[in-house]
Amino acid sequence: MRVIKHRGQIALAMVLSAALAAATACAGDGDKKGSDGGSGGKITLTVDDFGTFGYQDLYKQYEAQHPNIKISERNVPKLDDYLPRLQQWIAAGAGAGDVVAIEEGIMVKFKSQPDKFVDLKKYGAASLQSGFIPWKWQGGMSPDGSKLIGLGTDVGSMALCYRRDLFKKAGLPSDRDAVTKQWATWDDFINVGKKFSAGIGGGTKFIDSPETYYNTILMQEAGKGTNQTYFDQSNKFVMESNPAVKAAWDETVKMSQAGLANGVQFLSDPWSQALKNNAFATAPCPAWMLGLIKEFGGDGQSGKWDVAGVPGGGGSWGGSWLAVPTQSKHPKEAAELVKFLTSTQGQIGAFKAANNLPSSPQALNDPAVKAFTNPYFNDAPVGKIYGPAAVNLKPVYLGADNQEVRQAVEADIRAIAQGKLSPGSGWGKAVSDAKKASGTG
Amino acid sequence: MRTVIARRAQRAVAGSARLWQASPLTYVVLIFGIALSAFPLYWMFVVATRTNDVVGAVPPPFVAGQHLGENMNRLFDNEQAHFAKALVNSAIASAVVAFSTVFFSSLAGFAFAKLRFRGRNALLLVIVATMMVPVQMGIIPLYMVMVHLHWTGKLQAVIVPFLVTGFGVFMMRQYASQAVPDELIEAARVDGASTFRIFWSVVLPALRPAASVLALFTFMQTWNEFIWPRAVLNPDNPTVQYSLALLNSAYFNDYTLMFAGTVVATVPLFIVFVVFGRQIIGGIMEGAVKA
Amino acid sequence: MALDVRPAPPGARAAPPSRRRRWRSRLSRLDMSLSPYLYISPFYLLFLVFGLFPLGYTFWVSLNHWEIIGGHEFIGLRNYERLLTDDQFWNAVGNTFAIFLIATIPQLVLALLLANALNRKMRAPTLFRMGVLLPLVTSVAAVAIVFTQIFGRDYGMANWFLHFFGVHSVDWQANKWSSWLAIATMVDWRWTGYNALIFLAGMQAIPRSLYEAAAIDGASRMKQFWRITVPLLRPTIVFVTIISTIGGLQLFTEPLLFNNGYMNGGSLRQSQTVAMYMFENAFQRFQYGYGSAVAWMLFLLILVFSLFNFLIIRRLAGGEK
Repeated sequence: MRVIKHRGQIALAMVLSAALAAATACAGDGDKKGSDGGSGGKITLTVDDFGTFGYQDLYKQYEAQHPNIKISERNVPKLDDYLPRLQQWIAAGAGAGDVVAIEEGIMVKFKSQPDKFVDLKKYGAASLQSGFIPWKWQGGMSPDGSKLIGLGTDVGSMALCYRRDLFKKAGLPSDRDAVTKQWATWDDFINVGKKFSAGIGGGTKFIDSPETYYNTILMQEAGKGTNQTYFDQSNKFVMESNPAVKAAWDETVKMSQAGLANGVQFLSDPWSQALKNNAFATAPCPAWMLGLIKEFGGDGQSGKWDVAGVPGGGGSWGGSWLAVPTQSKHPKEAAELVKFLTSTQGQIGAFKAANNLPSSPQALNDPAVKAFTNPYFNDAPVGKIYGPAAVNLKPVYLGADNQEVRQAVEADIRAIAQGKLSPGSGWGKAVSDAKKASGTG
Repeated sequence: MRTVIARRAQRAVAGSARLWQASPLTYVVLIFGIALSAFPLYWMFVVATRTNDVVGAVPPPFVAGQHLGENMNRLFDNEQAHFAKALVNSAIASAVVAFSTVFFSSLAGFAFAKLRFRGRNALLLVIVATMMVPVQMGIIPLYMVMVHLHWTGKLQAVIVPFLVTGFGVFMMRQYASQAVPDELIEAARVDGASTFRIFWSVVLPALRPAASVLALFTFMQTWNEFIWPRAVLNPDNPTVQYSLALLNSAYFNDYTLMFAGTVVATVPLFIVFVVFGRQIIGGIMEGAVKA
Repeated sequence: MALDVRPAPPGARAAPPSRRRRWRSRLSRLDMSLSPYLYISPFYLLFLVFGLFPLGYTFWVSLNHWEIIGGHEFIGLRNYERLLTDDQFWNAVGNTFAIFLIATIPQLVLALLLANALNRKMRAPTLFRMGVLLPLVTSVAAVAIVFTQIFGRDYGMANWFLHFFGVHSVDWQANKWSSWLAIATMVDWRWTGYNALIFLAGMQAIPRSLYEAAAIDGASRMKQFWRITVPLLRPTIVFVTIISTIGGLQLFTEPLLFNNGYMNGGSLRQSQTVAMYMFENAFQRFQYGYGSAVAWMLFLLILVFSLFNFLIIRRLAGGEK
């Protein structure tokens, strides 16, 4: 009878699954997790990072030089996905790699828990200070200056990328030096934008969205005077009183009101679609942006982009440090690896592999870096464009809540560009949103 | 008089056959619905056969390309993703969880629906209430539990917590109350059958359609689970969705690779579909299990 | 031992010796009183180990000011007080309920009708029945891309389609109502087939004889549907309603995908749901305590609203039992 046959099937299935479960329980150890060495005294170091640090060849090099070390990389492409995992491990006290990458936006937050990270000075890092741009070195120190938590990897000094062919079409000069001269200030930039819009025809806009420019201008303004953005050195909320923020805000609102923005959110799928379809003509370009434009733009746009100086001069966006969590079982070996990856040679290697601009003055002056040109960007001499700017960067203090406040304020900028928020009431809303995001209000 | 009855009976027989026949309208509606459901899947397959520049293209591609083999090779060669192992891991996890959930949920559902015991309603409400708790916050404490048990990175972590679910219990309970008549159970009791005997011989067969649906859903859900496996497993021992996420490079999504992986990952699901789909159909033509 | 359902003929059984009878009856009483608890215990055991701790821990965290990677201090119910006057929270609540209503009511009706259609004799039945589940097989990434293509402002198919009716390009993400509509579409696309299949299973338990009797009496298909199918399906309808309420109020993935992975749900939080707000507070603002409070408020909301829906459905679906 069908009923009995079916029951037989169920019974069989249950026996099978019980067997499977038992097999799983026994065989679960099939792969050894990260840090514990196998036989023969080999140590496996786990490196957690995001995006492209360009360390693949460096790992191989290190393993060749240290036969007892094996390196296993756990990469999460997006920073937004990487962050919750790192938080989970640090909060739970387990699961983090031996080496973890920390980006500048979240560095202050993680630094505020210095007891969670190893003091790299204990492993001989103190002598490496001259190998880093001063503010980068400072950025890796704990708030009270006693512990060295991270060694710097790259810096994101700024330039501005533009589409030569679209500029030509709009009747504007397209040679990079001429372009740089045209927009010495941001007001000049807006004027160039207006000229562009008048001359281009079709739906192409001058910029993708104002938020990215807002942050660029903010960092520049802060670097010129107060050296702080939303918070002062004692972590007091100073957004309303800091002229740098208001200046950046006003300038960006001007950009929206001039109708220069396409409105796509940075790095979203619509953004990459807009990029491919020639929907905007410029983009703020920290060094790591070059690789992105190439990936998203595809072969069709090779040679059409170029790199000019950024209006206002200076500014930075991005850059990371490598740290060793105290939960690591091999702090000494992990620290050695960190020192290697952030050494002059390591940084040059990363630059060649992934275009990440070194934070080491020696690396920046190295001929390999200086002479580097990027064919996708019309053979722009990126080493020369970014290098000097990096050394001259003034450090800006980012409060512990910088990341979330930034997101709140930038969302309001976007709302203005979308026409959903009036510039008049926008500033007040941005301030209250910022307060809410940081838990101050 | 006889002719009237005969004619009525004839009409009734013809009517009942017509009753159960799908009308042309039904077919049209269903086909349209399936087309809507299937379109993204089809498009995914198309992308898996192409190269990456078509992904953001406007208009999107509709015809399959020739790169499927190449993308598949890249898929299995990818060192970061451990895709083949992920397929095995997911198969084990999904099968174990599906069978376990169906068995234990049926047992508990039967108890809640047909047996009398003290605190029955309160205990059922607790189970339903546990489904209402948002899960994202629980990741950190559950991770801590796994650390304590030394299960991080191991398959048990994605299997054991899900061996019985509130959803399953609730579903089987509702179905049992609808599909298992009390009289049948009473009669079996009178005959001296033990409770488990009643469950095994009387109730379980009656629960077959719902059990099949639950098995199918649970398998699918475990197969598609992403957030928890990513939180607790490691890249060298992943399940299938986690492995697919590892295929990404840098800031940019290698969609052709990911979708090649998804296409491969979908095949076992289809097999499970077909197997359990038949079980659901089986009930329809007999009508209900009882006469 | 064959399960014989017919009543035993009188006098057929000889009386067993009294000791054995007492032992047996005690065993069977034990079986009847203990079995239920035994059968529901697997769930509770697992819950005790893997469910209770996270629950309790999250509640404890919600009573603190808790930096996710840092220290914490006990502040009692202050997080909840703060929630009550947090307009971002209430905005998320409004969004969540709006999306839920727009999505769920049509979806359940559609699922019911779909199940009814699938409950017929037809060619290639497996194909159709499994066809409605395809959205759940499609990878989340693919769904994201497809719907971004459909609801994109400049290159989306929806706007292209609306152009034929003279409608100006809609910026779907930038407006509340349009984002609600778009997300409701995504949700319905993904989950209608799922609910249809649950209804279909429920329909298997309804005896055909009832329909045939009704047909002989001259009842139309519509009448049969409302008078027979729906009332007898009531436990299933209750189930689907509660499950959909829970899932709908916890909505997270679809609005996140619609907003390109950005947790704030739009420049002015046009389509941020409570679950997204919870995640944003805990993992992006690093405020684990406040995020946990949001989670528990959400739980309360779901509890209350599920009860409400349950009572409504019980009244509407009518029928006995």
